Amino acid sequence: MTEHVTCLGCGCACDDIAVVVKGGRIAEASNACTLGTAWFGDGVVPAEIRVDGRAATLERAVGKAAELLTSAARPLVYIAGDVSCEVQREAVAIGDHLHAAVDSLAATAASAVLAGQRRGRAAATLGEIRERADLVVFWGVDPGERYPRFVARYATAPSDLGKTRRVVAVDVGASRGPKDAALRVTIAPSDEVDAIGAMRATVAGRDASAARFASAVDLARRMMQARYTAIVADGEPGVRAIDPDRAEALVALGQALNGPARCTLCTLRAGGNRSGADAVLTWQTGYPFAVDFAGGPPRYRPAGGSAEALLADREVDAALVIGAPATIPGPLADGLGRISVAVIGPRASTSAVGSVVAIDTGVAGIHDGGTAFRMDDVPLPLRASLDGPRAALEVVRALRDKIVHGAR
Amino acid sequence: MSNPERLRISGGAVYDPANGIDGAVRDVCIEGNRIVAELPRDAPRLDVAGMIVMAGGVDIHSHIAGPSVNQARRLLPEERAVDPVLAPRLEDGTLARTGTGGTVPSTFATGYRYAGLGYTTAMEAAVAPLGARHAHAELDDTPILDAGFFVLLGNDDYLLRQIAAGETARARDYAAWLLGVTRAYAIKIVNPGGVSLWKSGGDTGRRNVTGLDDAVGSSAVTPRKILETLCAAANQLALPHPVHVHCNNLGQPGNYATTLETMKALGGQRAHFTHLQFHSYGGERGKPWQSAARDVIEYVNAHPETSVDVGQVMFGPATTVTADSPVEYLLATSSGGGRKWVNVDIELESGCGIVPYTYKEQAAVAALQWAVGLELFLLSTDPWRVVLSTDHPNGGTFLSYPELIRLLMDRSYRDERLKRVNQKLLAGSALLDGLSREYTLGEIAIVTRAGPARLLGLRNKGHLGPGADADVTIYTSDGDRSKMFATPRYVFKAGTLVVEEGQLRRAPAGRRLAVRPEYDTAVTKDLRRFFDAHATVSFDNYGAEPVA
Repeated sequence: MTEHVTCLGCGCACDDIAVVVKGGRIAEASNACTLGTAWFGDGVVPAEIRVDGRAATLERAVGKAAELLTSAARPLVYIAGDVSCEVQREAVAIGDHLHAAVDSLAATAASAVLAGQRRGRAAATLGEIRERADLVVFWGVDPGERYPRFVARYATAPSDLGKTRRVVAVDVGASRGPKDAALRVTIAPSDEVDAIGAMRATVAGRDASAARFASAVDLARRMMQARYTAIVADGEPGVRAIDPDRAEALVALGQALNGPARCTLCTLRAGGNRSGADAVLTWQTGYPFAVDFAGGPPRYRPAGGSAEALLADREVDAALVIGAPATIPGPLADGLGRISVAVIGPRASTSAVGSVVAIDTGVAGIHDGGTAFRMDDVPLPLRASLDGPRAALEVVRALRDKIVHGAR
Repeated sequence: MSNPERLRISGGAVYDPANGIDGAVRDVCIEGNRIVAELPRDAPRLDVAGMIVMAGGVDIHSHIAGPSVNQARRLLPEERAVDPVLAPRLEDGTLARTGTGGTVPSTFATGYRYAGLGYTTAMEAAVAPLGARHAHAELDDTPILDAGFFVLLGNDDYLLRQIAAGETARARDYAAWLLGVTRAYAIKIVNPGGVSLWKSGGDTGRRNVTGLDDAVGSSAVTPRKILETLCAAANQLALPHPVHVHCNNLGQPGNYATTLETMKALGGQRAHFTHLQFHSYGGERGKPWQSAARDVIEYVNAHPETSVDVGQVMFGPATTVTADSPVEYLLATSSGGGRKWVNVDIELESGCGIVPYTYKEQAAVAALQWAVGLELFLLSTDPWRVVLSTDHPNGGTFLSYPELIRLLMDRSYRDERLKRVNQKLLAGSALLDGLSREYTLGEIAIVTRAGPARLLGLRNKGHLGPGADADVTIYTSDGDRSKMFATPRYVFKAGTLVVEEGQLRRAPAGRRLAVRPEYDTAVTKDLRRFFDAHATVSFDNYGAEPVA
């Protein structure tokens, strides 16, 4: 049994999983939620290497991938899910060397990141919510759906605080808070940004008495009277994309509440170590996603330079995907289907993306070790509990070496 | 030039104060990654006649890696867009890495730019234990520099519980354990108790401490008690660097009293007080600020167990980034607010606050801060205990060190600059009395390498004696000291020529500097219980140790 295993099934990155292996398969992942159980599965993944659909040696596949990328006029490096930060660091290095565009799965939460770049943010690591918050406001999200253990691990107070903690659900149209909240506030989607504005005005001591915002304003007053409020909102898009104005309004409200009391805004993010991709790109280039090395030094193109936009505009002619192709958002996968792609990552050979090169690797956190980031940017070690295919790090390093020293 | 295994650096004026050499012409011999006493006559020779030879620079306090620094990078895309860092072609034909600069450069750019200034060692001054793994990963991507970090430990939930319970020995064991598992170099204390109160919530009246004897949760826990406990622990553990203290009340008028009280509380014991400039103000809230540099530095001068770095403010853009989150809240909301502001409350220990800031010559407070820093430098009587720093990027970036050196070495330049700054709050400043002191090259060598290396307990750094690391910086002499220190002619790191005439030639990985003190492992049993009850990270996953 391997204990203290970190799960990358969602951004909660629960690190209390105990994995039991029997007969070369994962028999049990205790403490894991339904999402986590599905993420671990039985741990059996393919270990193939393919070039143009046919089995190939690693050397040939790496050579072919290098050739594809170095001969491309405008390559894209895309960091998908389920790879470690160590692999992501190599991926960015390859992008730098190729003068490529680099983007990652972290771009799914672009609205929240951009709002943070405009204003900053008042945030906390998840343990602070658990240990400090006497008021928890779930803003249009029930974490039970996409972050099953969030409430149990990060929002269930220790006994003494638990007696006084209040949980509020803000329902915004179909985006509803948890069913068992003590208080519900309903806001029409079309009113959401204005309602947050009215709350902020209330916090600032200005009159915000419009009748249709009465319940929101009342909530703002409760927040002002709390000792420490946690606002929990989803950073990942659902049926609808995240409204950038809403993201920024929540940031501003969270900051303003630190006048009368304390407040943190918690932005829920999905799994696969996407928060790690954000952190790695930021430390190596200064920018969290949509980075373009075309001119040499990195340029930030959050508006038109995301992988999705580049593919839609037919701006890139070849791509390197590092990570599990199954984690790639739909529209992006469609765009990748139109160009030549090399895929290095878990289950690459089973990808729907029509790849020239596919190299299966281990899954970070199941077969591969390394580091991953929780949704709140807390770094965690990954523990391998099962032997798997060749490690992603080994393959990506071989590719980097081939690209940098190709002629050697 | 090529990089021979053995090299005689010949004919330069050597400034090696740790070995009593003050500008004498002599050879410095490198064999492999070390300085040696002699080499055979036929060893390759680098003629540096007329040039100035010093050990590689050592930065005792800088913010270059980790979660808070990365938050600061992410916050400022606009400033880095205008400061792209190109990838030079290295000696082996490969390209270095690109990056971006601004006040908080990306990791590779940080390594290259430090090396470009002739600095070869740097200490990241504040890493939350929870972010240690992240900080190490960034340092892995920061080439050339030998680097370590100070782990934050002045607002730690477990530590404060031990202090409340009077468990001094267990507190010391905990500190030792934490240093080891985070692979840190020293203990950092930031606003002891103050950050803990800020995190515990409530209204503005009780969100920080104001003095050494304020209660922090339990009445048995006070900033004084935290300081005493950790200072004693660091000295009992015989750590190479003592506690590194960021005092209470940073940036507040009248805070010099707290600073002096803190120094006295730890009197007789080794302790380092950081960015002293930010803690040396007279006056009081709501009244004009003034300089209290003289009071503070006179205490330091008279107490050989005390060391400091200055944290000089330099005019221009900066980013204030600190674990002292309540201070950043005040800065973010002062003068009508409207600034970008990041706050991150970090579980178990510490916080993070970030506000971008520009120090303007014409702003009264910025001018006072600039003057206070210079006073501390110029009134100090022992350069071995007063280190050059800007608290990068808080008072200005490390790229402003050459300009700061010129201010210290060139009185007429300094006086000219002084005339241009806002004079409103300078009434009590010793600078106006015409401080005539000019630092010598030997003294600059002390405050930028020999002194910090000694204070950090890095025996092979900061000097050029046999056995020292072959970190050598060679400058072309120039009357304009700013120009001279900005572009060294040659920089060697561990015997490798990394920079030549401003060009990056090689970018080897640096070494990690860390300690692993002994402790009574009984503490881990209690810690495990504490983690089970209060942490959201498994005890076995905390810190930065490699896992199987």
